[in-house]
Amino acid sequence: MSQQQTKNCITLRGSAQIICEYLKFAINSVLFQRGLYPPQTFKAEQQYGITLLISEDAQIKSFLTNLLTQSEEWILNKKVSKLSLIIINVANKEVLECWDFNVQYEEGDAALSKEKNETVGSKDLKKIQHEIRDVMLQVAATISYLPFLDCRCSFDVLVHAKTDCDIPDKWAEAKPVEIANAQNVQLKTFSTSLHKMETVVSYKLVD
Amino acid sequence: MAKEGDMSLFNDVLEPFRRVINTDPPKDKLSSATKLNFSDSNQSMKEGLNNLLSLGKRKSSVCMNDVCTPEKRVRSESSTTPASAPPSPWEAKRLKIDLIAAKAQITKLESRINHQHTIRKEMQILFEEEKGSLVEQHKRDERALSDMEDRLQLIRRREQELKDEYNQALKEHKDQKANWDREKADLHKQIADMKDKLLECSVSSKDQLSEMKKDMDELLQALEGAQSEVEILKGEVAKQTTRAEQCTTLRTQLEKQTFELQSVTNKLKELEYERDSYKDWQQQAKTAQKRLSNMAELEKEVNRLRSQERSLRDAVCNKLLLEEQVHQLQSRVDVLQPVQNELHEAKVKLATLESALEEWKSAARTHGVESARALSAALDAALNSQLDATAASSQAQSQLAQLTEEVATVKFERDKATGKLNDLQVVRKNQESLIHRLQKRLLLVTRERDSYRQQLDCYEKELSVSLCGEAGAGGAALLAARVDQLERALQAYRDLLALSDQPAHTALVETLRAESSKWREEAENLKRDVAKLRAQRDTLHANLERIGAQSQTKVLHLTNNPAAEAQKQVQLDLEAAQEEIKRLKASLREGGGSLACPEEIQQLKQQLESSRIKLKRLKEEFTSSAQEYRDVCYMLLGYKIDRTGHKNYRISNMYAESSEEYLTFTLDDDGIEMVHTDYSATLGELVELHLHQHRSIPLFLSALTMELFTRTTMQQVQ
Repeated sequence: MSQQQTKNCITLRGSAQIICEYLKFAINSVLFQRGLYPPQTFKAEQQYGITLLISEDAQIKSFLTNLLTQSEEWILNKKVSKLSLIIINVANKEVLECWDFNVQYEEGDAALSKEKNETVGSKDLKKIQHEIRDVMLQVAATISYLPFLDCRCSFDVLVHAKTDCDIPDKWAEAKPVEIANAQNVQLKTFSTSLHKMETVVSYKLVD
Repeated sequence: MAKEGDMSLFNDVLEPFRRVINTDPPKDKLSSATKLNFSDSNQSMKEGLNNLLSLGKRKSSVCMNDVCTPEKRVRSESSTTPASAPPSPWEAKRLKIDLIAAKAQITKLESRINHQHTIRKEMQILFEEEKGSLVEQHKRDERALSDMEDRLQLIRRREQELKDEYNQALKEHKDQKANWDREKADLHKQIADMKDKLLECSVSSKDQLSEMKKDMDELLQALEGAQSEVEILKGEVAKQTTRAEQCTTLRTQLEKQTFELQSVTNKLKELEYERDSYKDWQQQAKTAQKRLSNMAELEKEVNRLRSQERSLRDAVCNKLLLEEQVHQLQSRVDVLQPVQNELHEAKVKLATLESALEEWKSAARTHGVESARALSAALDAALNSQLDATAASSQAQSQLAQLTEEVATVKFERDKATGKLNDLQVVRKNQESLIHRLQKRLLLVTRERDSYRQQLDCYEKELSVSLCGEAGAGGAALLAARVDQLERALQAYRDLLALSDQPAHTALVETLRAESSKWREEAENLKRDVAKLRAQRDTLHANLERIGAQSQTKVLHLTNNPAAEAQKQVQLDLEAAQEEIKRLKASLREGGGSLACPEEIQQLKQQLESSRIKLKRLKEEFTSSAQEYRDVCYMLLGYKIDRTGHKNYRISNMYAESSEEYLTFTLDDDGIEMVHTDYSATLGELVELHLHQHRSIPLFLSALTMELFTRTTMQQVQ
């Protein structure tokens, strides 16, 4: 009994790490699926029981590591409510697509938390990974209905943090984005029992 | 010590019994033996006891304590003994000693008994074990016996089966034997049949053989006949071949004759040809004679024609001059034609302008203006007046707008006033109805008041009556009268009530109902509105929350994000591109009046010009030299050579009589060949001589020249 408890115990930091890992793979997957960078710069990697593609571009890699280390810290301190991956037309700075990753904070396992004297969850890691895999498959499936990006595009990640949050070095405040005539598609959610991750893609409806 | 020795002895005695326990355990012997031993042991035990007693009394107490059962007996004995007689101390002592000794003996005996018991038990166990083993052996024997029996039965059964099988086999063997006998008989029969058939077949084959021999004889005879026929036919064939040979000899003769005929006809043709040529010669001679006779006339004619030719050459020169002039004039005409066209157009324009001017003038005259200046003045005035008018109109329009605005305000006020009026009227109506109602109330109240007064009067009357006297009958009458009065009053009340309240009440109820229904409808409408508004409010709340959440959060991003970098890159590219465009434009502008390129162009143009000139000169040179060459050829060799096409050459002689007299040659791989023309047909002799025999074209040509020359000179001489 005690062995199982230790087995299924997820700490706050572990949960944040799971979330950030998901974000890394989700962002890379979107970059690959939406064709923002040439496919030969991506490398296949086995994760969550499926093959996902990770960018080998040094710039993207450094950007993501910077972003995710800081985000993990913020998620740990419950400072972040949403991360938005926006795809921008470089020529006229128009936002064409927005992938919202809404982070919600949950209580976890109260009894176990009291026992451990810190906030912990008791969800099975395999189950979490299974849920994440479902979301990943949905992300891969979105390409069938998202509009074709026929211009030079780039991306940015906006972190919606609380106002009392300090702005670290190399970070700056940005304007919130708006997509005119947007269509929203809610993907599956998954939860680590401490954090709930909701993925929403909104794109410009072309008529 | 003695006891132990006894026990070992006992055991030694017992051992053989244990060993020979299988044979037959004799119980009587054992018991006697035990008895025997017992007695011995008893004696020895007594001795031991004495020894023991001598050791001391202290131990006896211990023994007493150890053994419990004897104590009881002792007590019983002790209880009995003192009852018989009171012993003396010595006796008592003696008795006690005896008693103790007896007790010791008893204990020893008891222990021995116990020991015996254990031995017995051991024996029993041994015997039982033996018995068990024997029983087991017995069982085993029985089992073996039963097994043997089973096996015996099995063997018997097998024997039985084998016997059965043997019987069956015997039976089968008999059956098969019978069958085979039967088959043997059948086969014998078949053999007999077959022999009969064989005999029949041999007989029939002999018959057939004889028939065949007959046929063969017939056929041999036929063959001999046919051979004789063949010989006859061979003889005929030999005859025919001899005939055929004769025919072939005849045919060869015929062929020879035809060949001869052909040669004869050829000779005849040659002769005819010679005759024809001779005739030609004759004709030619005649014509030559004729020509010679006409020579003087011809010379005259030649002179005349030469003069004519000269005049014609002059004329040709003149014609060239004239052509040049014509050309010049035509170019001039070409130059002048557009000018003429322009002139025409100008004239037309002038006419139209004049007509327009005339119209203008007439229009001006109608307005009483004579000169252009006066016209312009008049126009200015008119324009000014128009300007004034437009200003006035705009003013008027603004005024109109003001007025309309005022009118609108006034109308609005009027509407307000009418609204107020309506309100007031409504209020007045309400007041009137109120007044009406109050009047009715008042009426009611006055009537009530009257009735009360009546009642009061009535009471007063009653009071006066009761005060006056108490007459029973009168009282009753009075009461009746009062009842009547009261009933009347009641009736009056009812009437009043019915008259005044009922219609008003019903009307009131009706109005109230209508109102309530109206209110209900309104309430429902309002409820619907409320629901709508709630939904709206919820959505707005959601929006507001989102906005609030946005306002609560602040959006952060990394400064060196890919989008910003991409934008920077694009900006840089754009700037670079613009720079390049500028540079290229500037270079293009400079290139307009530049140094390098135009110089080159100039040079190239000059080169082109010079090369053109060179080409032209070369052409001229070539044509002139070619002409010269041709002339020289003509002068030296007497032939004018023209190239009429690819590898085709036409030559005409200097002394030819007409331009029709020409020869054509074609150049091919082997050399040059003459082509048949009308003129060449007339030169049959020369052709035959020089071309066919000598195979030399220059010789042919010079011979022709010679002939023509001689002909012309002959004519001249004549």
